[in-house]
Amino acid sequence: MSKQIVRLSVNGSNHELLLEPQMTLLQALRDELGLTGTKYGCGVCECGACTVLVDGKPVLACSILAISVRDKDILTIEGLAGNGNLHPIQQAFIDYGAIQCGFCTPGMILSSKALLDENPRPSRQEVKEWLAGNLCRCTGYVKIIEAVMAASETMVKGGSHGK
Amino acid sequence: MASELAVVGKRLTRPDVAAKATGSALYTTDMTLPGMLTAAVLRSPHAHARIVKIDTSRAAKLPGVMAVLTTRDVPDKLFNMGTSELLIIKKEHLIADQHVLNNPVRYAGEAVAAVAAVDEATAQAALELIEVEYEVLPAVFDPLEAIKPGAPRVHDFAGNNIAQHLSHPYVSGDVEKGFRESDAVIEGTFTTSKQKTAPLEPASCVASFDANGRVTVWSPAQRPFLARRRLGEAFDIPEGKIRWITPLIGGGFGNGASLRAEPICVALAQKTRRPVKLEYSREEQFVATETRTRFVQMVKLGVKKDGTMIALQTRVIADAGAYFSATGSITGVNMAYLLGLYRVPNTAGQADIVYTNTTPSGAVRGYGNPEGMFALEQVVDMAAEKIGMDPMELRLKNHRTTGEPSRSPSITIESCRLAECMQLGAEKIGWKEKRATRNKAGIKRRGLGMAVTTHNAGSFPRMLDYTNATIKLNEDGSANLTAGCCELGQGITGVVSQIAAEALGMHAQDIVVYAGDTDVNEFDAGCVGSRATYNIGNAVVRAASEAKQKLLERAAKMLEAEPGELEAREGRVFFKVAPDKGITIAEVAKDAIYNFKGDAGQISGHCSWEAKWNTPAFEAVFAEVEVDTETGEVRVIKVAQAHDIGRAINPLTVEGQLEGSIMQGMGWALTEDFAVNSKGILESDNFTSYKIPSSMDIPETEVLLVEYPIESGPFGAKSVGECGVNAIAPAIANAISDATGIRLFELPMNPERVLHALHRKEAGGLSY
Repeated sequence: MSKQIVRLSVNGSNHELLLEPQMTLLQALRDELGLTGTKYGCGVCECGACTVLVDGKPVLACSILAISVRDKDILTIEGLAGNGNLHPIQQAFIDYGAIQCGFCTPGMILSSKALLDENPRPSRQEVKEWLAGNLCRCTGYVKIIEAVMAASETMVKGGSHGK
Repeated sequence: MASELAVVGKRLTRPDVAAKATGSALYTTDMTLPGMLTAAVLRSPHAHARIVKIDTSRAAKLPGVMAVLTTRDVPDKLFNMGTSELLIIKKEHLIADQHVLNNPVRYAGEAVAAVAAVDEATAQAALELIEVEYEVLPAVFDPLEAIKPGAPRVHDFAGNNIAQHLSHPYVSGDVEKGFRESDAVIEGTFTTSKQKTAPLEPASCVASFDANGRVTVWSPAQRPFLARRRLGEAFDIPEGKIRWITPLIGGGFGNGASLRAEPICVALAQKTRRPVKLEYSREEQFVATETRTRFVQMVKLGVKKDGTMIALQTRVIADAGAYFSATGSITGVNMAYLLGLYRVPNTAGQADIVYTNTTPSGAVRGYGNPEGMFALEQVVDMAAEKIGMDPMELRLKNHRTTGEPSRSPSITIESCRLAECMQLGAEKIGWKEKRATRNKAGIKRRGLGMAVTTHNAGSFPRMLDYTNATIKLNEDGSANLTAGCCELGQGITGVVSQIAAEALGMHAQDIVVYAGDTDVNEFDAGCVGSRATYNIGNAVVRAASEAKQKLLERAAKMLEAEPGELEAREGRVFFKVAPDKGITIAEVAKDAIYNFKGDAGQISGHCSWEAKWNTPAFEAVFAEVEVDTETGEVRVIKVAQAHDIGRAINPLTVEGQLEGSIMQGMGWALTEDFAVNSKGILESDNFTSYKIPSSMDIPETEVLLVEYPIESGPFGAKSVGECGVNAIAPAIANAISDATGIRLFELPMNPERVLHALHRKEAGGLSY
């Protein structure tokens, strides 16, 4: 198949890319745009390491074609901190020891953002259910859940910078 | 004492996590070099086959393909992908049994050929064009089948597929006499599974030769220096011509203690003279990287009526899979812990290490110890039941403690707080109360179980445990520390910065750590074997103390005082008797460089540290489970884990290690199944069929740190990396038994096995 010109809006910047139509969003982000914060963990929607937000909703970049999200707002981990300020979820992951090897972290943080944007005060159970699609092999999830609960507190109190 | 420490013991933020939270952290797979090629590997569809003919001509002609690699292109030299054997002091285990590419191939999924091309799509397309004619050979997948006469032979040199026989070196007494004198003898055969480490980051490598023929290798290896030596052996490249860099690792768990993608990647880089990247897919990570060793352990314990253990014997069949790797050393460790946790006067252990046509086994967190505990800690419970004793009482009565020989008899246990761990854990789980009142009828039944364990800090005295650390102070009062630690997520870079800061009187955030680069760092044995905090930390504390001495000497000149009158803390040097009076470390460090009086001498310290001691950590695990007797499903309700840590350098990271190990242990216990079909094809090569725990599986967890600083560790620290995983599966098994009366002898303890055991029990047969 011949390449197509695809416009992607990533972290507030527009990019015009010449892509094979079968290229996944994960490949476009990592290989074409150099946004390597989004990780390959399985390639088949099982681990959540490639989670990005498309129009605010969590999407698995490994299994969606780049052309299918043309002209939509894509947020990757690199775009979450604004003006050098960490997002409250990033800060909470750091403060609560929720990061070990860090390979699941970008997907985990973006999934958490989608949750807290939709449900600012989730219960622990709701956090556990929401994050069930994001696998982590290091932490046992305990401190990740603590971090999301703490970020929820901060954001409800107005600590979010409105991303 | 603890109040005197300014940095150690604090829940500080690690230096690596800000980059990880913002997506700027660089892992091997994130690297790109100019002109870099992408590699892909053709893998065998057969479990055992001779490659009769391989035609790569069509693949080689595909535009964009730069090299095709087959057995003809790799060194005709046997080597071993594992690294442990390089350090074993008594060389009885050494086996080299594989090439970079092998013919015949000995497991389904083994590499047959590889391609380097301009991009991923071209590399994958080229694989399709390689034509291979196989002669399929008979294969064997079960170690007990493999040792039978007439079984298919995996390696020509290994009769009955036995690669090696091991006798446990520290036998004592007369085990047969011990059993005769026992009031109760318990026996069981326990089979463990080939757990995958399953790090979120699959294996990967980037390799690049420079114009002088020197190669730089980037890969998530946990032992850069030993990986460099192994690679050099395989390719006949001297160590000095290899620069090995371990970037951030996306999860280790032992998998990075062996070579994985590196040999093929380096061979392609050598052939093309261009940088090459090889990234394993998740399926390749499952099928083609080493697994936990499948052990079949026949364990026999003899006890007196009063609970005194008097004889313990283990006979082990260890499944190495298709290649030996580190299975010999793992099996030795397995027997040592199984026979060395309790004070038993008569012990014996024998093991056969057996080849099968399955994915090779190798280093996985715990390194034979969890497998041993799965057997031992169930046998101990069975003995308690038989003599009518509380399982905790039986353990308290028999476990080795302070002043007694450790599992390595030449090392006396410096400090053991296992009794306190047991008491604390029992209290948190409600051991006495709940065991008296639990519901043993109905469909859903609850039970409590426990298990205890110990784990060394490093590998001394069986192995060389050697490391180096160097620290230098910059003129602004910051420092650079080179230490042999790889950051695989455990937080070691934070730990060594806290240790150095405490020893020097600095702030941890002012210390920048350099690790994992064989050109920059001095030798280190790697981040494996629960050795890093204890052994690397011991080097760091001494290097920093040497620097501190120089700091105080120079400060004394500047303040016209004696060094002994001064102390350094939190970035300042001050008079002990008048803490307000002093100067900053930055001022002293600046004077050491920009001196202008003929007295320049940058402040630095170095330590070359070879371990001469080893103080094990201890741990007690308590689990409460609910067994659904209709579905066979086991739900873990609560885990209380008390760990004898010596001192936690950073309690936040220690807790994180333990919480993670609970879940990794639970996965091994209940759901993770390396399922191979009748043709030897791996069926669980993805996260749907190979189920690691998710956030939905977390029990209520209580991680309890029992802190009694020890003499031999840095600021009193012991180890934590592996111990936490050892006792989870047996604690769950014992809880299942408590709930239902069934005893499970094989992992994973999935619904099928639980139901099978329940039905057998209902049918009137003894469950064991």
